[in-house]
Amino acid sequence: MTAIPLWVRRPAAERAGWLRTVDHKEIGVLYIGMGVAFFAIGGLEALLLRAQLATPEASLVDPETFDQAFTVHGVTMILLAVVPLLVGFANYMVPLMIGAPDVAFPRLNALSFWLSLVGGIVLYFSFLAGGAPDTGWFSYAPLSERAFAPGTGVDYYIVGLAVNGAGTIIGAINLAVTILLMRCPGMAISRVPLFVWMTLVTSVLILGAYPALTAALVMLLVDRQLGGHFFDPAGGGQAVLWQHLFWFFGHPEVYIMVLPAMGMISEVIPVFSRKPIFGYGFVAGSSVAIAFLSFGVWAHHMFAVGLGDTENAIFSATSMLIAIPTGVKIFNWIATMIGGRLRMTAAMLFAVGFIAMFVIGGLSGVALAVVPIDQAVTDSYFVVAHLHYVLFGGTMLGIFAGTYYWFPKMTGRLLSEGLGRWHFWLTFAGFNLTFLPQHWLGAVGMPRRVFTYAASTGWGPLNLISTIGAAILAVAMVVFFVNLARSIRSGEIAGDDPWDAFTLEWSTTSPPPPENFASIPAVTGRRPLWDRKHPEAREKE
Amino acid sequence: MSETGFIPAERKPPALSISLGSLRAQGPLPLSPKIDRTLLGVAIFIASESVFFLAIVLAYVAYRDSGLATAKANLDVVRTAIFSVALFASSGTMARAARTRSGAWLAATMILGAIFLTGQGSEYARLLGEGIGPGSALFGTTFFTLTGLHGIHVLAGLVALAGLFIANLGRARAVRASAWEAVGFYWHFVDAVWVVVFSVVYLGTFL
Amino acid sequence: MRPPAEAIGTLALIVGVIAFLIFVGVEAALVYAIWRYRATRHVAGEPATFERNQRLEIAWTAAPALILAVVFVLTLGTMAEINGAGVAPAMRIAATGHQWWWEFRYGGTKTANELHIPVDTPVDLDLTSVDVIHSFWVPELGPKMDMLPGTTNHLRLLARRAGSYDGQCAEFCGVEHAWMRIRVVVQSQAEFDSWLAAQASPAATGGDGERVFLSSICVSCHAIRGTTAAGTAGPDLTHVASRATIGAGVLPNDIAHMRAWLADPQRFKPGSLMPRVPLADADLDALAAYLGSLR
Repeated sequence: MTAIPLWVRRPAAERAGWLRTVDHKEIGVLYIGMGVAFFAIGGLEALLLRAQLATPEASLVDPETFDQAFTVHGVTMILLAVVPLLVGFANYMVPLMIGAPDVAFPRLNALSFWLSLVGGIVLYFSFLAGGAPDTGWFSYAPLSERAFAPGTGVDYYIVGLAVNGAGTIIGAINLAVTILLMRCPGMAISRVPLFVWMTLVTSVLILGAYPALTAALVMLLVDRQLGGHFFDPAGGGQAVLWQHLFWFFGHPEVYIMVLPAMGMISEVIPVFSRKPIFGYGFVAGSSVAIAFLSFGVWAHHMFAVGLGDTENAIFSATSMLIAIPTGVKIFNWIATMIGGRLRMTAAMLFAVGFIAMFVIGGLSGVALAVVPIDQAVTDSYFVVAHLHYVLFGGTMLGIFAGTYYWFPKMTGRLLSEGLGRWHFWLTFAGFNLTFLPQHWLGAVGMPRRVFTYAASTGWGPLNLISTIGAAILAVAMVVFFVNLARSIRSGEIAGDDPWDAFTLEWSTTSPPPPENFASIPAVTGRRPLWDRKHPEAREKE
Repeated sequence: MSETGFIPAERKPPALSISLGSLRAQGPLPLSPKIDRTLLGVAIFIASESVFFLAIVLAYVAYRDSGLATAKANLDVVRTAIFSVALFASSGTMARAARTRSGAWLAATMILGAIFLTGQGSEYARLLGEGIGPGSALFGTTFFTLTGLHGIHVLAGLVALAGLFIANLGRARAVRASAWEAVGFYWHFVDAVWVVVFSVVYLGTFL
Repeated sequence: MRPPAEAIGTLALIVGVIAFLIFVGVEAALVYAIWRYRATRHVAGEPATFERNQRLEIAWTAAPALILAVVFVLTLGTMAEINGAGVAPAMRIAATGHQWWWEFRYGGTKTANELHIPVDTPVDLDLTSVDVIHSFWVPELGPKMDMLPGTTNHLRLLARRAGSYDGQCAEFCGVEHAWMRIRVVVQSQAEFDSWLAAQASPAATGGDGERVFLSSICVSCHAIRGTTAAGTAGPDLTHVASRATIGAGVLPNDIAHMRAWLADPQRFKPGSLMPRVPLADADLDALAAYLGSLR
């Protein structure tokens, strides 16, 4: 069996297949390709922002351009990079991990990818149509109303996000039904790999959260195009309604972004520790708790809006509560490593990096749950630091871990471990240099979304350090892209199971055949491949 | 792969996998339940759309007081109740159609749905004629958005019904039972949303 | 009553110490796990197989819960302290956010961009906006509070030391959000009283510059009490020369900078709502001098 992926050497005559494919593996690759491309674009946007902010009162870009850049950077990274990357890996791996030949609705699966992509294209088309949206990724009303954002940028934001969101909702339905109904014999729901668990929980989050965003977008469109007054105080509406609706979506959205990545490292850490995951039930159960609670914390984004001490206190309590199941996971991952035999491959480095960085992001998050602290530092660079620690230090490092782990399964070749180490350490150094100083900048008064700052503030030196960090991050990403490009062509052949892993995807070829499994897997525990390889040490369930 | 996702036992397991025989020897294990995929998918979709409608309804309710006077003066409960009956009846005809796989009952459902939309359209025309539209005042904004979004869902339902009707014109059994149930499920959902909207907007204004 | 900034600072210190200890503990455990159990270190023996321990799970669920409960109680305490509910304010100032400047009103006296308050005096700001959402934030004086159109929020200020404190708008409000800076001047009661009296008095009238002002479109947006100019779209200029900066922080306030600003405000604050008004050089000189005299 050949390890060179068929799609690499697909002859020209067959290439139209990508546009019409309904195979979950190819759709997974399409999603990941979309995510990688938009991650690069979003990264360039970030470099532009950091370049402008490196020195006080700089004029590298005018404020209009800067405002479009940070708006589009946020939307791109969240909705066009991270979510497609996670959905892409889920699409590829979940059917394999549960022993299924495809997802429940393959054609709908293709539709959800194309909707996600078209949504992103619609958003970016705005650059050519008079200007991108420039009101921030959460586009607060009334700044986003016609009176204050008269161009078409916000309208492209609305349509782009709605279309992209429809794709994501459909994708979530597909993954949920697949996981619930298409598990192979013996694969009880209490035996599915944690990545599958997280995907299921994430799907539920998507189905509960995205419709709220769609509703808000529809209302904004009615205001902008039909003269409505949903968010227009002069007409009897309230600006704060937008915030409630947006954050009812927005907070679960951050768990949508982090849970699958936590699922990825929950696969990587046991394999490279040569031990089963510690506390499977608690890791799975805590995700359900997080999902539940995440619908009850949204107003912690609104502590400075004037909702009142009672409302603020309630959301402070729920926000602190949600830290508990999150902490539980971290302890379980560390306990998995203890007593194990750790192979510090690139995948494992990134998984460990996730834990290290997520602890910091999680702690700054708890600080933000403390209402008076939040009222001091919300809307400042402290929050920018926090969100990047959880979403980059957390989610992106988790995605990198998943990439080094699953790339061989998807392509039949290993990524270079040497380049992988360079990628990791440059990322670790660059990331911390970029975002650690921002905690301090926020605490001393630098607000978010400013295109420059007065020299008299003294914020220059830390901003310069942050920008240098961003430049190092850029180099790290170049190393990563070089690794990807080289390894697809000439990486070391991986074989079926290069990592001596535990779960079903490693029981088939790399890459898997179109029908996924030549033989039907049957499962007796949580580590079906391990059980097969070690019949003498059968797990008791 | 059958619809339920359960792998039929007739398939011969090759050497690499644990045979189903030895699997059974270990005692019964929970396998994937026999729920239809399509139905579960539609049910989940409906749950998601419910969240969407809930958000719009909540916005309407939040803004209800400032628009109450306009609502009282301009809504026509009786007229709307009449063409609402058409929509409610269409749920009954749809249930009949699904049970008997009858094109005739399906057509009746579509006609009743179209009557509802026509009635809604005439209500819109009347209100717009009196200067009440999405841009006029807060009541107009919330009313037209909520009922308009519902109307769009009814329209989508009519399209689905039409698709089912056309597919059924061929071989009667060519359309899977689950397709009838799924479309029926969606249609009942659209009806249920109208129960809520009618209660909140019309009954809520006058009671 | 403690100044809000001080109360928050204490709470932040406590939370910071707790967070730091947790950080050190968890990262140490992580580093230990890697160092002790890395495969290159242990050659003999199989890895452990333990995979659950209910007591441990309960312990490390309960411990964070306990810590958070303590933090929550402290949170409630500080919230009650800084909202100033127990202490009546000695004065209320109406603060209104505009794109991209601040309007402050002391009773009937209007000023802009620079807030003066007496030291050791609890002051309540009544915050609102005429356009989009802004946020009043002077970090050294306390938390921020958003200014929403159509509603009024309240923020308690209490400063224990005289001096000058800087802040800026903390809710993205459009293209010149970065240049919506605030200066708060905390003064002794006597100095504050004389400042307020001066602000309340009408401007000295007469002169060439005033003539230029009254005959151009300046009057459609700006007010100078003592003249017929009563525009409200832009900052009140009755005592503009008493302020440290022009354009909410974008330029220092002296006659040379004022003249440059008047010649082309869009050059310094592009996108701001003050248009470029073509005036003859002599007129610009007179206007700048006039505005420079309005102390």
